[in-house]
Amino acid sequence: MEPLDQELDAAELELPTEPMLLNVGPAHPAMHGTVRIVMELSGEIIERCDVQVGYLHRGFEKMCERGTWTQVFPYVDRCNYVSPMLNNVGFALAGEKMLGITVPERCQWYRMILGEMARISDHLTCDGAMAMELGAFTPFLWMIKCREMVWEVMEEETGARMTHSFGRIGGMAAPPTDGFKDHVRAVVKHIMQVLDEVERLLLGNRIFLDRLENVGVISAEDAISLGWTGPCLRAAGVPYDVRKAHPYLKYGEVEFDVPVGSTSDSFDRFMVRIAEMRQSARIIEQCLERMPNKGPVNVDDPRIILPPKEEVYSTIEGTIQHFKIVMEGLKLPAGEVYSYTEAGNGELGFYLVSDGSGTPFRVRIRPPCFLVTAGLERVITGQMMADVVPSFGSLNMIGGECDR
Amino acid sequence: MPSFKLDDKEIAFEPGDTIIRAAHRAGVDVPHYCWHPGLSVAANCRMCLVEVMPPPGRPAMMLDVLAWDDLHQTYVPQKKPKLQPACQQAAADGMVIKSQTSEHAVKARSAVQELLLLNHPVDCPICDQAGECRLQDYWLEHQASKKRMKDEPVHKPKGVVFGPTIVYDAERCIMCTRCVRVSAELAKDPVLSMRERGNLNEITVAPGRQLDHAYTLMTEYVCPVGALTSSDFRFKARVWFLRSARSTCVGCATGCSSFTDFDPRSQKVYRYRPRENAAVNKYWMCDDGMLDYQRIHQGRVLEARIKGEGVSDGVALEKAAELLKGAAPQKTAVVLSAEHSNEDNQALLDFAKALGALQIYYTGRPQGQGDDILRSADKNPNTAGVLAVSGGKAKPFTDLVGAIKDGKVSVLVALGSAIGNPNDAGALKDVKAFVALSTHDGPIADHAAVVLPASSWAEADGTFVNRTGLRQESDRAINPQGQSRPAYRWVQELAKLLSLSLPWKKVSELRAASAAEAPAATPSAPPPGGE
Repeated sequence: MEPLDQELDAAELELPTEPMLLNVGPAHPAMHGTVRIVMELSGEIIERCDVQVGYLHRGFEKMCERGTWTQVFPYVDRCNYVSPMLNNVGFALAGEKMLGITVPERCQWYRMILGEMARISDHLTCDGAMAMELGAFTPFLWMIKCREMVWEVMEEETGARMTHSFGRIGGMAAPPTDGFKDHVRAVVKHIMQVLDEVERLLLGNRIFLDRLENVGVISAEDAISLGWTGPCLRAAGVPYDVRKAHPYLKYGEVEFDVPVGSTSDSFDRFMVRIAEMRQSARIIEQCLERMPNKGPVNVDDPRIILPPKEEVYSTIEGTIQHFKIVMEGLKLPAGEVYSYTEAGNGELGFYLVSDGSGTPFRVRIRPPCFLVTAGLERVITGQMMADVVPSFGSLNMIGGECDR
Repeated sequence: MPSFKLDDKEIAFEPGDTIIRAAHRAGVDVPHYCWHPGLSVAANCRMCLVEVMPPPGRPAMMLDVLAWDDLHQTYVPQKKPKLQPACQQAAADGMVIKSQTSEHAVKARSAVQELLLLNHPVDCPICDQAGECRLQDYWLEHQASKKRMKDEPVHKPKGVVFGPTIVYDAERCIMCTRCVRVSAELAKDPVLSMRERGNLNEITVAPGRQLDHAYTLMTEYVCPVGALTSSDFRFKARVWFLRSARSTCVGCATGCSSFTDFDPRSQKVYRYRPRENAAVNKYWMCDDGMLDYQRIHQGRVLEARIKGEGVSDGVALEKAAELLKGAAPQKTAVVLSAEHSNEDNQALLDFAKALGALQIYYTGRPQGQGDDILRSADKNPNTAGVLAVSGGKAKPFTDLVGAIKDGKVSVLVALGSAIGNPNDAGALKDVKAFVALSTHDGPIADHAAVVLPASSWAEADGTFVNRTGLRQESDRAINPQGQSRPAYRWVQELAKLLSLSLPWKKVSELRAASAAEAPAATPSAPPPGGE
């Protein structure tokens, strides 16, 4: 059959050459929180784009300067609200670094277990949402159901599903519950089964693979120069994990691998997260074995830790201790500290400045998401418009963490 | 100057100083309950124990003690150095003293603190002292351990009324005797004493007496714990919600340095506290002064009035300007006020000059009781300031009464609220065009055709000159209440309406002008210290 445009001049067929400006967000369902992308499109190809964060601004760093150090915990909960326990522990470790104290062994294992559970919840959400955005709704439901199980463990331990405010400088708000270990084992076992099923569902699916493979590629050099950390950096083949590079808590004593990708595309980022959940399960298993069932969780220093309630109500020493810590706040020595941990999306850093009083002088957070989101522009430029959604999803931007 | 070494810090002292006094002057804190810089030494709390090292080549004085050995579960004989109370030990040149660096002193303080809390009730949540209590501070700094005593604590009388101003709680008392010494040494009325011994100790009032001298609130002020509470402040506010402004007491011509403690949320003043000032009040204030803060909220004129009826600012200003417009200069009089600051008086004086008014008078609160401790019989804070600002030209209020009777005054602008002799108030009725700038209800506000509500001393910065000619600044604590504004602002508005020009625009210029008018041997108050 002859081509239809046989008779026509080629020039007449050209579409208008002016680029089209397309504005997505900040309130758009695909934007994972309030971020805005202004794209310059040539046809369906993104010629240039501008990623704008800042539509979510709570000013939480400033808010921290009004209360006590302990009152910062609810704020960090709301940074990465999918894995708040990692933020809690990260901030607690920063305060402890400043005080020069180490929490008891039982607490360190406990923090690791809860932290890895939170990491699983974080990755489940990201991978589940990615699948859903590409039309695979079943894995999303399965994974969110798993995440619900993780949150049930959190609720059992802390009393809250999401925003636990459970960390304390010098320990945790409460010791592990009696059924903690059994509960965690059962949940992790189930999640690992679901992960296998999810892989079977997705990894043989042509559509899923075509939409992710060789899409949203970024070079390792670019990723490093943008300050990327976490799964996105590891998907680019750089095996940097704070837990391995600068072990904290007991990470130096447990065995786990750092999964890395090879092509640095959206698919690698998806797979790195799946692999990391399996590593988390490995870590949790080791921690459960080594965590003592008895023993103190909090440091034994009345200047730092609240007394038991029955002492507050019955002895003057307990009342004074409670009063001093609640009204004036525990006092961190004057100075500054940078403390960093591996959160769900990478290196979560806290830079604290104390003037020696009970109120923070300055709290600066290094949110991993913020730096990863800064690379979105490079990831999607030159891609098709439709690829924005899976590429953006694979970076796992969390709005609360990008608060600027 | 001789000096000693305290924890490796060289501290100079004057002959006759004790260790703690020299350290206090140098800004080094040795923990203490019973010692107070303004009182005699009691040395009974034992919190200030320090280790004085023996002179070179001499052995230390050692005590034989039994110490508990945890390992062998028995007492073993040990030696430890004899510690000295820093509040009583006279300083000597070249002394080497260990306070926080001596393990023995640290241990002794911890033990003292534990014993002080032994029978202490669990009262912090209902105690007015919580938040500024030495027991709380020192527990954290020097003890930080849990209760070891399992027995029921000794119970003693609570809520004992000592007099019209003070309520005593014997369970909270640590028997430092500061209140006893304040009564005996400051008020010269030894009405308080201590009875019983050991843990049955309590403070009592002399039989047949009440704690009712003129300085009773100082007993509460020096109390390092919550044993003595002021019935005025009791249960009214929690101290951590209060903020402090540096102020000068306006209760009398002494002009004691004070702190005005107010709640920034409700814009309400809750109390005064003395502020250390060696040149005026040292560490103290009298009861009248301490309770004088109440006038900030009581009997105030908070809205503009025309013939006693409340009106808006603008209407009152228009009316005042109408009354003053075209007044005959020789029949126009201005009344300054010894209750008001130099700034307010200077503003009114400049206004009078611009208006051409020739008659200048001054007024203030009636005389009251004085003593040779702090209280002055002149109950106005700024009599000296008014006279200095007006260059001595201001005549007393009695002269104004005469002038009104003689028909020499038909237009009057008066600052202030009270007059010296209440019987003179009747004369004010005869003035037709009478504009008042008043903070409080009183004869002036009652008789004025137009009253403009002036801000009190707590609502504006101001300068006051006390009876010795010392010029002192008082800082604003709360925002102007109701419709009130500082008197100088009203004057400024009035001048604008009358198209008169004043020689200043900003308060700082006004202050400089008033200071230039009143240089009378007045160095500004020395930098105030205090707690």
